[in-house]
Amino acid sequence: MAYSDKVVDHYNNPRNVGTLDKSSTEVGTGLVGAPECGDVMRLQIRVNPETQVIEEAKFKTFGCGSAIASSSLATEWIKGRTVEDALGIKNTDIVKELSLPPVKIHCSVLAEDAIRAAIGDWKKKNGVAETVQAAAAAK
Amino acid sequence: MMMKVLDSAIPVACWSCSVAHNESTLFCPHCSKIQPPPSGDFFSTFGLAPRLNIDLAALEREFHRLSRKLHPDRFARATESEKQWSLADTALLNDAYRTLKDPLRRTEYLLKREGAAIGEEHSGKDRRDPSRVPPDLLEEVFDLNMQLEEMRTARAAGESDPEVERNLTEAKKKFDGLLDEVDGDLRAQWSAWDEGSDVDRKAAQSAMVALLDRRRYLNNLVRDVTEAIGD
Repeated sequence: MAYSDKVVDHYNNPRNVGTLDKSSTEVGTGLVGAPECGDVMRLQIRVNPETQVIEEAKFKTFGCGSAIASSSLATEWIKGRTVEDALGIKNTDIVKELSLPPVKIHCSVLAEDAIRAAIGDWKKKNGVAETVQAAAAAK
Repeated sequence: MMMKVLDSAIPVACWSCSVAHNESTLFCPHCSKIQPPPSGDFFSTFGLAPRLNIDLAALEREFHRLSRKLHPDRFARATESEKQWSLADTALLNDAYRTLKDPLRRTEYLLKREGAAIGEEHSGKDRRDPSRVPPDLLEEVFDLNMQLEEMRTARAAGESDPEVERNLTEAKKKFDGLLDEVDGDLRAQWSAWDEGSDVDRKAAQSAMVALLDRRRYLNNLVRDVTEAIGD
C-alpha cells in the first residue's frame, strides 16, 4: 500500500518527537494503544496555567508510518490552541489531511484518543472538571 | 447473526449424477465424483461442527485421506474441469487444515465467522471501547519499546549496553510467559463457547476477543525483542 506524500513527509521528518517532564503539573500525558495492530502512542502537552494554551506538545509513537504521521500531525495542530479548542480536533480531520486509507483510519483514532488522554490527564492534575461531566451535571 | 453452518446444509446437485448433496463435500456421496470447491466454511470441509474443541488426530486423518483422494495423479485421465477442481480443492483443503489445526487461528477464524471484530479490518467498530485496549500493559509495552530503540541505536553506532541487553532478555522471558498464560486463558473459554448457553457463549466470545487483542500486543513485542536480541 502506498503512503500519501504527507504521511511520508511526517514519517521522515516527524515533528515534535520527544518527552516532557511527566511529573510537572503543567504537563499532561496520554498513553494509548491500538489493539488491532499493537501500536502504542504517547502524547504529552505542556499547558500555560494562565491562558490554558498548549505551548508545547511532544509525542513518541511505536507503530506504522500512518500512526507516526497521525501523532506528528496531532502535535502540530494542538500547539498554540487552548485545551478546549484542541478537544475539537477529530480523527476525520487527520484522515483527510493525511489521505489515510480505510485500513489506517484506526491510526487517526489513536491520535485523537491520545490528545484526549493527554488533556484528560492535565485536567485531572489541575482539578479541572471534564467538560462532558460538567455538561452532564448541568442537566 | 445467523450461523453460516446453515449455508452448508443447502443442497446442491452433483454435476455428474445430479443427485443433491451437502454443499460442502469435496466428493459426491452418491457417485464419488470430485466436486467444484464448495462454498461452505472450513469446518464443513472436514465434516466438522463449528467448535473450538476439536479432535486433532481425526482432523489430521481426514486431511490425509482427502489429500490422497485429491492427488493430481488420480485425475490424469479425468476431464479438464475435474483436473482444475482437484487443484482448487487441494488449495482449499490445505487452507482449511492450516487454519483449523492451529488453536489460535482456529479461534480467530471461528470468532470472525460469528461476526466478532478481530483484526485491522474491523477497527472501525468498538473503537471507543476501552476494554479492548489492555491498559495494564501499555506502560510496559511503551518502556520496552523505548529500550528496544535504545539498543538498536547503540548497536547501529557499534556499541552495546550489556544492561539493556540483559533487560531485554528478561523481558522476552516474561512476555513469553504472558503469551502462554493468554493461550491457556483462551483454551479455558473454548468449552463455554462450544457447549454453553447463548449468554455463556456471548461472554466467552467477548473474553476471547479481548484475549486475542492482548495476545497481538504481546506477540508483536516478543517478535520485536527476538529480532533485536537475535535469539
